[in-house]
Amino acid sequence: MRLSLEWLEQHAPTGMTADEAATTLTMAGLEVEETEESDLGPVLNIKVTPNRGDCLSVVGLAREMAAAARKPFVDVAAAGTPDGGDAGSLVRVTIEAPDLCPRYAARVVRNVTIGESPEWMQRRLSAAGMRPINSVVDITNYVMLELGQPLHAFDLPLLRGSAIRVRRSKPGEAITTLDGAERPLAEGLLIIADDERPVAVAGVMGGADTEIGPKTTTILLESAHFDRKAVRRSSKALGLQTEASYRFERIVDPAGVVRSLNRACDLIAELGAGVPVEGVVDAYPGAAPVGTVTLRLARVSQILGFDLSADEVQKSLQALGFEVTECEGEALAVQTPSWRPDVVREIDLIEEIGRVVGYGRMPEKLPSGATTQGGDSDLGRQMTLAREVLVGAGLTEVVGHSLVAATPLDDDGGERVAIRTALSSELSGLRRSLLPGLADVLARAVRRGQPQVALFEVARVFHEAPGGHTETLSVGALLHGAPANDAWRSADRPAPPDFYTVAGLAQALCAAFKTGPPAMRCTSDGRFHPGRSAEIVVGDAVIGVAGELNPAVAADLDLRERAVALELSLAGLVAAGRRTMGFVEPSAFPGVTRDLAPRIAADTPYQAVRQAALDAAPATLEGMALTDVYSGPNLPAGTRSLTLSFTFRALDRTLTDDEVEAAMAAIRAALERECGATFVA
Amino acid sequence: MDDLTRLVAEAEAEVATAASTAQLARVEAAYLGGKGALQAQLKTIGSLPKEERPGFGARLNAAKATVLASIEARHGDLAAVEAQERLAAESIDITLPGAPPLLGRIHPLTRTIQQVKSVLIGLGFRIVDGPELEDYAYNFAALNYPEDHPAFDEQMTFYVDDTRLLRTQTTALQGRTLRGARLPLRCATVGRCFRYEAVDATHHHTFHQVDVFMVDEGVAMADLKGALKQFAGAMFGGDVQVRFRPDYFPFVEPGVDYSIYWQGRWLELGGAGLIHPNILESHGIDSERYSGFAFGLGIERIHMIQNGVTDLRWYLANDLRFLRQF
Repeated sequence: MRLSLEWLEQHAPTGMTADEAATTLTMAGLEVEETEESDLGPVLNIKVTPNRGDCLSVVGLAREMAAAARKPFVDVAAAGTPDGGDAGSLVRVTIEAPDLCPRYAARVVRNVTIGESPEWMQRRLSAAGMRPINSVVDITNYVMLELGQPLHAFDLPLLRGSAIRVRRSKPGEAITTLDGAERPLAEGLLIIADDERPVAVAGVMGGADTEIGPKTTTILLESAHFDRKAVRRSSKALGLQTEASYRFERIVDPAGVVRSLNRACDLIAELGAGVPVEGVVDAYPGAAPVGTVTLRLARVSQILGFDLSADEVQKSLQALGFEVTECEGEALAVQTPSWRPDVVREIDLIEEIGRVVGYGRMPEKLPSGATTQGGDSDLGRQMTLAREVLVGAGLTEVVGHSLVAATPLDDDGGERVAIRTALSSELSGLRRSLLPGLADVLARAVRRGQPQVALFEVARVFHEAPGGHTETLSVGALLHGAPANDAWRSADRPAPPDFYTVAGLAQALCAAFKTGPPAMRCTSDGRFHPGRSAEIVVGDAVIGVAGELNPAVAADLDLRERAVALELSLAGLVAAGRRTMGFVEPSAFPGVTRDLAPRIAADTPYQAVRQAALDAAPATLEGMALTDVYSGPNLPAGTRSLTLSFTFRALDRTLTDDEVEAAMAAIRAALERECGATFVA
Repeated sequence: MDDLTRLVAEAEAEVATAASTAQLARVEAAYLGGKGALQAQLKTIGSLPKEERPGFGARLNAAKATVLASIEARHGDLAAVEAQERLAAESIDITLPGAPPLLGRIHPLTRTIQQVKSVLIGLGFRIVDGPELEDYAYNFAALNYPEDHPAFDEQMTFYVDDTRLLRTQTTALQGRTLRGARLPLRCATVGRCFRYEAVDATHHHTFHQVDVFMVDEGVAMADLKGALKQFAGAMFGGDVQVRFRPDYFPFVEPGVDYSIYWQGRWLELGGAGLIHPNILESHGIDSERYSGFAFGLGIERIHMIQNGVTDLRWYLANDLRFLRQF
């Protein structure tokens, strides 16, 4: 809300400068976002939180200001109007929806002359950001700013049957609002109607048919209390937010209905804009409830953490308009003012006391209860472990978007979780895979001319599933181009990554999570090169996929080299991991290493060779490594030579040559038998 | 001068002039070796009269010891010089660039999250995790949001359907954690949040938050202030002052936003307050006996303050030139 300092000062005479006032209001919870100059002097732009609709008015802000500055608050004096009069015979007000409109008051003004409002009023309205329109409209706006109660003026002769009916809209009804827009009304919105048609959307905007203008002679002035949810529903349904709806959605003082109406009539009379008819038509089906809250002094000190005197507590509350009606020892009975329906519990009162006293007085203590055990979550530790492996392998972590467009790279075969009413394709759904985000970083690196990247991300992916969605942690990596590391010795320059690079990363992750070595199986995942990709299997579970990106999928990345990627389910790694602790005792005895170089058909997968060798080896086999793969003109077509290195060791003795030779012979025989291996003598 | 005396003198002269350990080795062979000159003197012993033999033997041994001592002394000198020369010959251009190790790095947000977690764990907080795709109930209803209230307008929300949304605040986890919790409890959660905001230097539709909360007997606003001072001091270093300003969040009462005075200026960090008794009671916690505080702040904001970064968009842009600096 924008408010000139001079207007605030009228009701909260503190003598403060704009800066002092801004600080005081801000520290009371009414943040002054900026201060501007105007021909009325400084204007404060005040952010009012949604629970404090009462502060969308000059009196509301002045009351807060005065309380914070410990100065008196000067209320607006409104002369009442005697009961009776003719008003009741001139209009008929019926509340047909009392659940949504607990009170509707109206007054009639005759001999209206629509002209300009006085300059002082126009200036205050302009400073508050409202455009002066004409005397009557300006007065209704002025009173709304002053007291917070939105008012509306109808051209009374245009109301058919001189009737006001507060009711829900019926199917097929429509209204042309003051802004000239014709608006169909959804059924059940709270409207003001005359005997025939809607004439206003209650609490939002009036209708053009009954708008006051230069020819207006008699007006009906409306001041009503509308249900906040009803106004919010209308405002949302019509996509129309107004000064009135903004206030009604928050809170408008139900006790201020008639007062505001009379204040407006006083101003109309005073400024010569018309002659108010005596009497108020006040349809008031239900009395506004009065709230009483019990407050214990000890609780105030306990919650705030420092001691306050009973006197201080009382004065703080009274300054904000609360009444302390009873004081029984430690407990006060506090009556809440009608404009503060947000205060319903003791804790709400304690906050008010804290605000007025000022949090600056609050000491800094430390929680003194029982010690608690701190620690990271399981997921946190698992993510850290995955990151350690990949950072150790030289990859750079990125943090990608969870919201992505539906792209081929995102399509891992699962169903996507879509965002309802997405505003753009980039924000239209949740990622199923980390690869599109990684590819996006690569694409931008390529555009910048630095296409060599080694990236990873550890983050959540989402899939829609019949029984509800899944949200799981995934580990993704994408590598492209040999890292440009400026090394002057060729030996220090890393090789460009290929399938085996990402397969190695998968193996390292499996080792870190203690799953045992993963098996590589052909995959039909279309995002990858069909001959250079694999699904990664641990036990009998597929936990991920690795390989070269399919050139068709990578086409729009404009790559000159092959890109390789990996994506593993962190949950899959954890599930397959060994949880029991334990270790293998290192042997004190020497090991024996022997090589074997079988020639094998090139289409026999290494995995089969490895398995055959392992199956044939005795328990003393400590490790087996592939140290070379050779295929070339020296070998028969369609064959390749593998160099396998076996290390044997026993825990309790030095192995004899005979033992090792026997083991090697067994392995050799198995390779001949199982894999058709031949050996050069 | 007899032969022995002369041989010793000759040997010492040759030792003194030997220019290398190799030459010295030849001198040693020439005098002390099996066919060396001094060794040859042993053969003359047979031609001496019997009574002179012991005396000659003793003199011969003394002569050999003298020469050997000279050789050893000289060898020490020569070997030291030769080692020096050998090392000098092996010297390289130490100003050539080192071989660059292949270094990976974590994202600055991860680093900040790790720092936040580490400080909180040290203060006895247990880190808990919750879903980013959250139930409407946990994100709003369980956090004391009044039904159909303008408070929602401050958190433009990505909805999947009527019951599921992308969490707008990590506070959403409080309900999940408080349900059936054993008290006292100190928990914190760090993670990603989403709001339908236009992206600019200080707003993003995707951002990270830490939410910290504790429930115990007699937790007061003053405890919150002290805990924040300790937390902010650990994060930013030095002695920080904490300032509260009243603010509104449906899930805390009293509700404040807090600033710290750090390096000569006040920095607004986030929202805080005492957990609303409505929330405690909805989980069956006696709000007379127990109270709790909660505070939250943005991970990006922490990193921006620590490093003087002025644009939030850098964090999800993943420009490697940016990431490499942290």
